[in-house]
Amino acid sequence: MLKELTAPGGLRWQLKSWARYRDIVWYRTLAGLKSEARRNYLGYVWFLLEPAITTATMYLVYVLIFQSGGPARVAMLLVGTIVWQWFESSVMQGMQGIRGKLHIMLHFTLPKYIFPLVGIFTNTWKFLCVFVVLLGACALCGFPPTAALSYLPLVLAAQLIFIIGLTLPLAIAVAYMNDVTTVTSAIFRLLMFLSGVFFSASQVPDAARFYFYLNPMAGIIEAYRSVMLEHAAPNLYALLYAILCGLILGLIGLFWCAYVDGKILKRVNG
Amino acid sequence: MANPPPAPLLSVRHVGLCYRYQKSVFARHKSRIMALHDVTFDLFEGEKLGIIGRNGSGKSTLMKILAKIFEPDGGAVVYSRPLHVQLLSLGVGFEGSLSGRENAVLNGMLLGKSRRHMLSRLDKIKDFSELGEFFDLPVATYSTGMGARLGFAVAMETEPDVLLIDEILGVGDARFAAKSQAALQEKFGGKHTVILISHDAATIKKMCTRAVWIESGRTVMEGDVGTVADAYTKAVQADDVRAVHELRAD
Repeated sequence: MLKELTAPGGLRWQLKSWARYRDIVWYRTLAGLKSEARRNYLGYVWFLLEPAITTATMYLVYVLIFQSGGPARVAMLLVGTIVWQWFESSVMQGMQGIRGKLHIMLHFTLPKYIFPLVGIFTNTWKFLCVFVVLLGACALCGFPPTAALSYLPLVLAAQLIFIIGLTLPLAIAVAYMNDVTTVTSAIFRLLMFLSGVFFSASQVPDAARFYFYLNPMAGIIEAYRSVMLEHAAPNLYALLYAILCGLILGLIGLFWCAYVDGKILKRVNG
Repeated sequence: MANPPPAPLLSVRHVGLCYRYQKSVFARHKSRIMALHDVTFDLFEGEKLGIIGRNGSGKSTLMKILAKIFEPDGGAVVYSRPLHVQLLSLGVGFEGSLSGRENAVLNGMLLGKSRRHMLSRLDKIKDFSELGEFFDLPVATYSTGMGARLGFAVAMETEPDVLLIDEILGVGDARFAAKSQAALQEKFGGKHTVILISHDAATIKKMCTRAVWIESGRTVMEGDVGTVADAYTKAVQADDVRAVHELRAD
């Protein structure tokens, strides 16, 4: 009995295929890290050295030269900047995952979420190295680790879920229309100033606070500061909101992946 | 009583496909191109099927449909059971920063095999590719021939239900090319199901048992390899003669 070919692309296939293809994500993530490390003589050392230089620069400028705010200000800025960098670089790299790997996908039957995930995980490993430096810098600035850090895995997971969720639909949109990259980059530039990277959430006027927290990254950055600098539990509602946003966006991305799986390469191939 | 004819392993029914070029506000060119109009043929278990046609006839597009990379816009591909259909792509997706060993596993996984399957085949891949100590060095240090040898060795260890070959490839130096040809001949000689596409009638005649002739995205003829290849050769020669006459007339 012959059955009609269902192109590998249904939502069920997308979900089931994860078990089969996750090793590809791991190997290619490893390759991404290795190739970045091999670009420089000092290799992996730069993963720690680069954030250490950023920290030292901030300390020099804010504490020693301008004497504005002291070490507490440096720690606050560092947390905001580094967490934002992880978010922005992961999404920007992940959203090129389909368009940038067309030459590979034209030869193999692969779920379209594979390469966006590789971009995200490569950045995430680098971020985890940076995070070690960040914890050390915070301790030097007078914020040693406390029991509140036990919330950190939850905060990291919430941000990772949000990053993955946002990246999946963006990666498909970019594959169809490269202009989305420029638009997203412009929006991120604006959002960086509106997410509390350079100021504390308490400085936001009451009337604007609702709109401020609509952006999940605002709640996430505040959560990091709570557990790392204020030694307090994070706002769990803000984290739940970020996780929900990530799950909804991720589901939209997976449905979209399933719908366009056999079509997308014909479209962008030209 | 005569035995009923065997059921096809895979059946292509009136398949059509249209490429859609990326639209631009300022684009003036046609944004759709029909690569396939109506292609129909059957593939049987263990068969060596040749797909013959001139450049631009839609052969490579058809391969991508069979490999489930493209979804057809019209018609359907029907199959007797879930099939692992693999396009022979040598070295595509290699990561320069990873070693030959790591790339062999990665490439095999891209071809649909599990990590465990590829790990169990690493010794054979190393032997076949003749890379020696280079097998554990980054692929970025390889010559083009070495990369192709590794790609070929991996492809030979993935054992798909249907192997799709886009033109017979000469891999590496003369000695390895002969070795790779022999390995392919073994695939063609054994129980494996293989589809070979080519614009060269002689290659198809030599390697295949049955053939399909495709022209401008349509099936022109399907049947015994000798009949189809001869008809194709005649048509190509007739077109060449016509083209020469037209040139002289100009």
